[in-house]
Amino acid sequence: MNIELSHFATRLRRLISVGDDVRSRHSICPAGFNHEPPHVGSDIKDFNALALELFALQFQANSAYRKICESRRLTPPTVGQWTQIPAVPTAAFKELELTCLAPDERTAVFHSSGTTEQKPSRHFHNAESLAVYEASLVAGFFKNVPSDCRLPIADCRLVCLTPPPSQVPHSSLVHMFETVRQKLGAGKNAFVGRLAAADAWTFDAATVAEALSSAGDAASQPPLLLLGPAFSFVPLLDYLTEKRLRLQLPPGSRVMETGGYKNRSRSLPKAELHALITDRLGIPRENIVCEYGMCELSSQAYDNVDRGFALEALGDNAARPKPTAPRLFRFPPWARGQIISPETGREVAAGETGLIRMMDLANVFSVAAIQTEDLGVRRGGGFELLGRAQLAEPRGCSRMAQ
Amino acid sequence: MELPNFFFADLPPEATLSPAMIAEACEVLKHNREKHLLPRTTREIVKTLCGVAAEWLQPDNPFRRLALERGPAETGFSRAVLETGLDDFFRRFTPENFRALLRQELGNAVSLTGDGCLAVGDEESAGPAVRHFWRGPEFLVHIAAGNLPNPALMSLTLGLLTRSAQFMKCAHGAAFLPRLFAHSLYAADHKLASCLEIAEWRGGNHELESVLFAAADCLTATGGDDTLAAIRARLPAHVRFLGYGQRVSFGFVTREVLRDETIGQVVARAADDVVAWDQNGCLSPHVIYVEERGAVESDQFAERLALELAERETRLPRGKISVEESALIVSRRGIHETLAVQRADVKIWSSHDSTAWTVVFEHDVRFQFSCLNRFIYVKPVPDVAAVLQGVDAVGGKVSTVGIAAPPERTRELARQFAGWGATRVCPLGRMQNPPLTWRHDGRPALGDLLTWTDCENEA
Repeated sequence: MNIELSHFATRLRRLISVGDDVRSRHSICPAGFNHEPPHVGSDIKDFNALALELFALQFQANSAYRKICESRRLTPPTVGQWTQIPAVPTAAFKELELTCLAPDERTAVFHSSGTTEQKPSRHFHNAESLAVYEASLVAGFFKNVPSDCRLPIADCRLVCLTPPPSQVPHSSLVHMFETVRQKLGAGKNAFVGRLAAADAWTFDAATVAEALSSAGDAASQPPLLLLGPAFSFVPLLDYLTEKRLRLQLPPGSRVMETGGYKNRSRSLPKAELHALITDRLGIPRENIVCEYGMCELSSQAYDNVDRGFALEALGDNAARPKPTAPRLFRFPPWARGQIISPETGREVAAGETGLIRMMDLANVFSVAAIQTEDLGVRRGGGFELLGRAQLAEPRGCSRMAQ
Repeated sequence: MELPNFFFADLPPEATLSPAMIAEACEVLKHNREKHLLPRTTREIVKTLCGVAAEWLQPDNPFRRLALERGPAETGFSRAVLETGLDDFFRRFTPENFRALLRQELGNAVSLTGDGCLAVGDEESAGPAVRHFWRGPEFLVHIAAGNLPNPALMSLTLGLLTRSAQFMKCAHGAAFLPRLFAHSLYAADHKLASCLEIAEWRGGNHELESVLFAAADCLTATGGDDTLAAIRARLPAHVRFLGYGQRVSFGFVTREVLRDETIGQVVARAADDVVAWDQNGCLSPHVIYVEERGAVESDQFAERLALELAERETRLPRGKISVEESALIVSRRGIHETLAVQRADVKIWSSHDSTAWTVVFEHDVRFQFSCLNRFIYVKPVPDVAAVLQGVDAVGGKVSTVGIAAPPERTRELARQFAGWGATRVCPLGRMQNPPLTWRHDGRPALGDLLTWTDCENEA
């Protein structure tokens, strides 16, 4: 047990759960999210000091990480800014045990999803570390998903298009949904999916459509929270389209979708997925929220496109509706992102594309500085998510004839 | 120099092609072929091709200059890489090389228009018992891919030899060099070039393509398996389809050449293959297997290759790549850098402050797809058997094996790789520079395009 990391975890949880600032409406600092906190007025003013403190602790306690830092000649005494802290590529979680927890302290592990042939990333946790994850995800979720204060969140019905946690104990996403479920006091039947052969996630679209349909109908019904990975929405929407069904979920209902398709369903461009959700489930665009998270992180980014943030961030005047505005993702105050040019390794200018790099203070017992393989465009106080860079066809004779 | 509007690909980007325009072009091309191409002898066509190629090799040739000036922006290759690649290509265009190609492909056969395959030579054999006539497609369509020009230019060249009217549909944004080549043919012999059309649009435009497919009697296509299957499914049954799918290549260096006296040359040749066309072709190596227990160790080979690639970058810089391609290189580097810190059997060398080149040394013999753009894996192996085991997963998908070995081993290695299924074995350093006689994917170069008539004499 590392006492100093435990103390850090306790302090961070306190900061996260202070509440007022975190759950207040975001306001964006024009300096952007790289050098200034994106959430002005948040209580984490000393982000840099906290990041450096955590770096020093993880350097001590995480031997695999220490070797990486030493090879880059970046050690706690030489680093003065959180942006200089060595970031570990997400792929390293597949090969190395990037954790500060001793083997007998690891009570849970989250795996990355993906094809079964590949080694998954492994992010180890114990009770303390899960408590930080849960504090972070709860604050982020309830700030962003039901962000409309008029929504009587406690009365919401919950539907998760995933298997229950008992079937997929290594899914950080399902752990998140389970935490939300407990917080809402919803029943275990909120999980409508199950695990099928070859680790595929599935659910009975007809049953789910039926349940959603009976949830709709009248304004008297409580609003519904429908959560799931993007690839889970596709079969549901396909079913509704095939049966020519258009559901009208109760007013105030929200959809949260996350992640890529990972070849688990056909992939749809984001705009098309959202248009289908609006068309088939009766959820207006502003009530569809996207989440960006991964098993290697303990904090999530959410987009806030139609709530004024995107427009402010882009420097537009006032809140003129702009349906084609890109959806901008932002992290909570205890996590910060940078968009890094892969060619130069330096931060890109606003409007440019690069790889998303994270400093997530909630990753207390693993590594806080994470280099993802996802591309994003730096915009104002957030980023536009482009997703994983694909292995482009070579430019030569084997390139696709397009 | 401004090119005249002669081909569809010359039209300004805002111009849109219509099915009627394509249909009309097909008719004109067929008509021009009757008039200007069918009467030609092979000797005349070869002479024109060799003349055009010789012009391309002259520093002041206007087409070459245009290719080098605008090429970097149009194709993504640096000027020096384009220059080397184009020079290597056009140097192959000699009468001797064409004669070798025609002899290999046609033997003693005679074209229906009367001129013998050996028209460029003088080795007419005396009265064979069986006479063979060949004829090329009337209307040959090429669906060309990518910015690497060699396959497209070679397709046009073979189509001229078969005296076919040709329509080349280039990938979006990739018509620049085929177009310049066609213009250089036009400048040399406008009647010949009047049997060619070069156009560019995004693949999958059914409206335009169905007109083209209906006019064709033979179609070549280069691309991924899905693309080829999609094209094939839309072709009328009578159209001969020649699809060239995605292929990969690798190198093999034997222990005998890993000596102080030879290592410099071997490393230089490996670098030639990585640098050529920025490693972007099917013939570029993804992996170089290096035999262990040479006087120079395999990891020293990797380190020397890294130094050589750093040096090449100053003379033959890699072209600009997209942020997605850079991101892939950085992500790959991240994995191997992380492993290299923890394990002694993984090493990585890479360019600083750029993604220009990367060498990864690792002991896993399994073939590894590179993200290319000068990202090469060096893998030590105990022997050739380990290589064959390592490449098992890409069996049937390998184009070229580049070998650095002493002559006494080369022959046996070639036999082994041929037996395994590689369609080309060549000396390391020449992987991206196949001869004119090269059989693409192991298929006859000219022969696949032709239709034969066998005329049997009385016994």
